[in-house]
Order: sequence, then C-alpha cells, then structure tokens
Amino acid sequence: MPKLKKPTILWLQSITCNGNTHSFFSHPDFVALMQKFEIIHHPILNTKYTLENVANENLTCDVLVLEGAFRQTGMKKANKEIYDIAQKYAKKAKHIITAGSCATFGGIFRQYDTKSIGGFCFDGELPNETYKLFKKKLISIPGCPAHPRWIGSVLSMILTHRQIPLDELHRPLEIYAYNAHVGCSRSEYYEWKIDVSRYGHKEGCLFYDHGCQAPFTHANCNKILWNEISSKTRVGTPCFGCTEPTFPKKNLWHTTTLMGIPASMPIGIPKRAYLTIAGIAKSFTIKRLNEPIIKYKK
Amino acid sequence: MKIKHFVEKVEGETELEFDFKNGIVNNVNIIFPFYRGIEEILKSRDALDALVITPRVCGICNHAHLIASTRAIENGLIDAGVNIHLTPKAISLREFTLCCEIIQSHFKWFYLVAMPQLANLNKLTISDNHILKASWVSINTVKALAIFAGQWPHSGYVVPGGVSCDPTYEEIIQAEALIDDIIRFTQQEFLGISIDEYYKTKEISNINGDMIEILNMLNNQNMQEKGKSYNRFLALGKHLVFKDGQYDQNIYGTAKIEYIKEHIQTGSKAKSVAYENKCYEVGPLARAILEKNDFIMDMHSKYQDSALTRVCARMDEIVKLLIYTKKLLANLNVKELSCTLPKFPKDLEANGTGIVEAARGSLIHQSIIKGGKIQNYNIITPTQWNLSNGIEKTSGIATKAMKGSINTEEATFIFRTFDVCSVCTTH
Repeated sequence: MPKLKKPTILWLQSITCNGNTHSFFSHPDFVALMQKFEIIHHPILNTKYTLENVANENLTCDVLVLEGAFRQTGMKKANKEIYDIAQKYAKKAKHIITAGSCATFGGIFRQYDTKSIGGFCFDGELPNETYKLFKKKLISIPGCPAHPRWIGSVLSMILTHRQIPLDELHRPLEIYAYNAHVGCSRSEYYEWKIDVSRYGHKEGCLFYDHGCQAPFTHANCNKILWNEISSKTRVGTPCFGCTEPTFPKKNLWHTTTLMGIPASMPIGIPKRAYLTIAGIAKSFTIKRLNEPIIKYKK
Repeated sequence: MKIKHFVEKVEGETELEFDFKNGIVNNVNIIFPFYRGIEEILKSRDALDALVITPRVCGICNHAHLIASTRAIENGLIDAGVNIHLTPKAISLREFTLCCEIIQSHFKWFYLVAMPQLANLNKLTISDNHILKASWVSINTVKALAIFAGQWPHSGYVVPGGVSCDPTYEEIIQAEALIDDIIRFTQQEFLGISIDEYYKTKEISNINGDMIEILNMLNNQNMQEKGKSYNRFLALGKHLVFKDGQYDQNIYGTAKIEYIKEHIQTGSKAKSVAYENKCYEVGPLARAILEKNDFIMDMHSKYQDSALTRVCARMDEIVKLLIYTKKLLANLNVKELSCTLPKFPKDLEANGTGIVEAARGSLIHQSIIKGGKIQNYNIITPTQWNLSNGIEKTSGIATKAMKGSINTEEATFIFRTFDVCSVCTTH
C-alpha cells in the first residue's frame, strides 16, 4: 500500500503572548496529534523550515493555525508584514484555525489600538474584509487561551473528515454551544442565589457580586475542565468571559448590576423569567447552603 | 563586518546585529522589534483588572505576572493604610504554584531549546524523544499547579489578601502524587541518578541521563570558558525559597529598589534596566549565587559566570524547587483562611510595587491607582535585565557574554542560555 502523505500544518504567530502555543502543548496527546501532520513551522518545536523560509518562500500549507491579533501594517517578522504572510498561506490552506481570542477577535492586544488591530477575520464581533475572502474555510477557537482540547479536537475532526457545525462567529458548536457555567461545582449556590461571602471559599456563587461571566460565556470549560483537573470557578475565580468577542470587558472582578440584578442574563433567559425564579429562590433560606460543607476539627 | 541574524523560537523572535572584528564577535545589538502596549491597555481600568490583563504579557511565565500584579496592589493597600496579612496557607499555595511554573519553564528550556540547539551546534541529529519528554513533564507540572489555580496558562486565582481557592486534603494528595511522578521523571530521565545521590556528591561528573548529554555537548563547545558576563547578580523578589540581594564581583549587599532605573533604547522596542547604573544578571544563576548554593558556588569559582555555570544553575533549581514543593504541600493546613481581605476598598488611592522571582529572574510591577482606577502601570521583566544593550557605552549582560564568540551560531546559543523570552522583554 502506498504511504499516505500527511497533511501539512503551519502555526503562525502575530501579536501574541504565546499562551495558545503553551496551552496546546499541555494537551496529553500533543505529540501523537502533531505526528499526524507534517509540521511546516511551529513556534516552539524544532521544524524543517525557519520563519524566514515561511516568510520568503511559498511552502505547502493544508491547515493554517493563526495565533495573535493582526494589523495590516506595522508588524513585521523576517522583514515581511505578518498579515501578508498569513494571507499568502490562508489562500493555499484548506482550513484556517484562529487559535485564541486575539487571532479570532483581536482580544487583549486589540485594546491597544482598536482602529488598526483586530482578529484575522473579525474585529471584535464584526466580520472584516479578510472575512469575506476566507469565511468558507474559517474555524474560530477563541479563548484566552484556547483550551488544549479545543485545538486538538478540531485538528482531529479535520483529519477524520468529520462534520464541524459552527455558530455565526465560526465557533464549533460541539464546544461553544455550552456556556462556561455548565458543570460548575458551585451551581447549587447559583440556583439558590447565594453569593460567595469573600474569596477563598468552596461555597457560594460568583455571579451576583464577583463578576463571574460563566452563564453568558460560550465555552465548555466546566464540562471538560482545564488541565484535566479544574477550572477558574472551581477554584473560586470568576469566569472573565475570555471566549467572547467582548473580552476583555472592564471591571472584571465586579458584577454590573441594574437595581441589584446582574445586568447580563444567562444565554437565552428572558429577564422576566430570571427575576421570577430568582425571587422564589431568594425567599427561602437553605441552611445547608449557608454553612461550610466540610467541618474540620480545630 | 556587520551581520544581521534573525533568531526565532525565543517566545517570539528577535534580531541580533553582530559586529565582527578579526573573526570574532566584537559587539552585538539586540533588537526586539514589536511593542504590544500592555501598560497602555491598563490605563484608566479598574485596579483589579491588572490581575487579568498582565498575565497576558507572557504565555510561559503568566503566573509570575499574576502574583507580581497582586503584590503591587497589596503593597499599595499597605501604603493606603489597609492591613494586609497573608495566612501561611495562602503564602504556601502562591509559592507552590509559582514553583510549578518555574519548573515547567526550565524543563521546556532544557528539552525544547538546549537539546536541539546544542545538537545543531555539535552537528548531531537527535530523535523527537525530547519533545515527548518536555510535553509529559510540563503537562504534569501545570496539572499540579491547576489543582489550586484552576488552569494554566492564565489563571486568576491570586487575589489581594490571599488566594481564591479553598483546597481539600484530597486535592493536596493529587498534587503530591503528580510531584512524585515528576521527581521520578527527574531522577530516571533527566538526572539519571537519584536526588539523594545528586545532593550527596554535587559533582557534574556523577550526573547521567539527559543532562549528561547536554553537559557533554556544552563541554564539546567549551562552554565552561564562554558566555561570561560581568559577574554581577541581582535577585529582588521576596520568597521563602529564594534569597534576595545583590552581588558584585564577590561582594554581597542588600538590594534597594530605588537604585533601579529603566532607559529607552534606540532601535529596539525594549527598555533596558540598570541597578546603580550598572547591568546585573538575574535568573537561576543569580539566585544560586545569592543563596550561596554550594554546588553552583563551586562551579562558579572554577568557571565563573560561564554558559555552563548558567545552565547548571537552571538545572539545579529544578531539583531544589521539586523538593521544596513537596515540603509546601506536606505542611499545608486547610483550616487556615485562604483570603483575609474581606472587601476590596472602593476608590483606592495607592502607589504599589510588586516583585516576584519568575523563571527568568526578578519581575517588577509598579502601579499608581487613583480613585480605584489605574493611572499608571509599569512592568520591568527579567529579560530586560539580561537582554539589554547596556548602559551608555558599556555592554549589556548577554551582549557582553556573546563578545569573543567565533561565529553567529555559537553567539546565538550563548544568547539562548539566558532563556530568552521576546514577549516579556517588550510587553
């Protein structure tokens, strides 16, 4: 049987912190996954081609992974505008993956200059000119950083020719149809509207006062967990909504409220429905949920 | 003769402009071409937003940035008259997660930078095994970190007054098991001898495993004689496991923050930083010299601040921190409070400085907060100390170390012994 040629992958960085590279490197099957590709270039692996080769030559590229925010001019690597290098390979690629919120929407680095810095195909939530060129092959994997499994699973789905249903921002629904609240270990406190009294307790919800954005953030963090073991909310940190085009919002550790009610509602929940349920839940005092769940002897 | 050399896979890229004279490097100019404006992004934001934004300076030492920004706020709160008292539990958890980040970063340097780069320099081919090892060990190290911090990279679990997590003994046991696995890996694969043996003899000649391959390749390149700089060291972060201070040509002193000054460099987007108008090396070698670590002191007396001593200090720090992380976990008392600050004061007016020892050295965050909002934020990263082009006419730490190199490849490797991080340097 003739040996099948491996598809080629090119991982290109623009204005980034390398967080998606290091996040994906923490995937338990990182090496096995990458061995299924011929790696044209990667930011931390020793590769056959240098970044200068990538910039100046016309190499093959089946899957293009982009990391970092883009500006059309003023961000050169190896004497070439990185945007032009990305465009060159985006035209050749069968699939374009924007890994992380910077490459997808502009993310944190867009905040420096929102007029000229954005994602590769979206500026915030708005599709830009580049979007028109590449929308047919674009898969968005936002997150700051993207979860290792999100990148790994999408690459595997591409390899195995599986269907990848996407939302309007091109995020795979199998990952982003959930909200980050699903699977939260504090969900009972959410249901009964009991806020965490102060940081550093396993009890209490972070949605009412501490800025947690999980109920209206598209991500499955609490379903699949980070580093296979935990998540922000499980360790008492609010979700900062890092997969959304609005990331980073302001006042990240405080909940914006209107007359004492969180201003942002869980995805798809009408305010009236929320208020009715919240009113009923708040009218009861549940003793168990107002005490420490574990009592250690002094 | 001038040669421009593009260096990649240094957490981003950089350009080295070499000036060769009589076949050896006479001078080098390090150019970091891109600034991302993190400090500008922070302006007029809520004081606590810094805890989320600043880790995004760097994908590999983000946790150090989180702790530095928290320390800057805590220092500011003290300045504003708020009593800040951390419990031993909160201190230990911060130390634990910081150590895990340093350990993964050092291992990545050995397996993803030193191994392939030294093999190239020695014209040897190596298998892909080193990637597998880097991957295994970093996965498990950051998993131990994530038990308490929720995730890596870009956790947010360090908050003014302590930490946000509330671990159980059951979770601490998971972390202990992971550290045990990493210790086993370190003994079997990395050092090739037990940590007991390593501490008994403290001789490089007894080391085996992957480290001996690195040491042999360093030896073949005469790296015990190369890569020497000014023999001046600085560690500024206060931790239970490190000793802060300053060292200049065999004289020890206390380090004073008011002697630190940043300078703009023409042609590069990175600022240089100096202490009393002199360049100082920061990082594992500086920390080993300041704590008078006998193994590294012995190497230092033989080979000074050579590339070999610098690499060995990084290796030795992995071993030291693994033992330390075990102790931290063994002594954790879950009954103590995780966070002692009940409420963050509204409309805070404060000036604060937070300093942390990160994988590559001392990291400084300084913030001015007015009416609860960030008026000014300044970050000085470890790599700014090591990778500047110097002060006035004197060379920087890395540029001095590269002088005298016989070709660009050798000089670039010496540059890499400082564990270059492009994104941190410019931020």
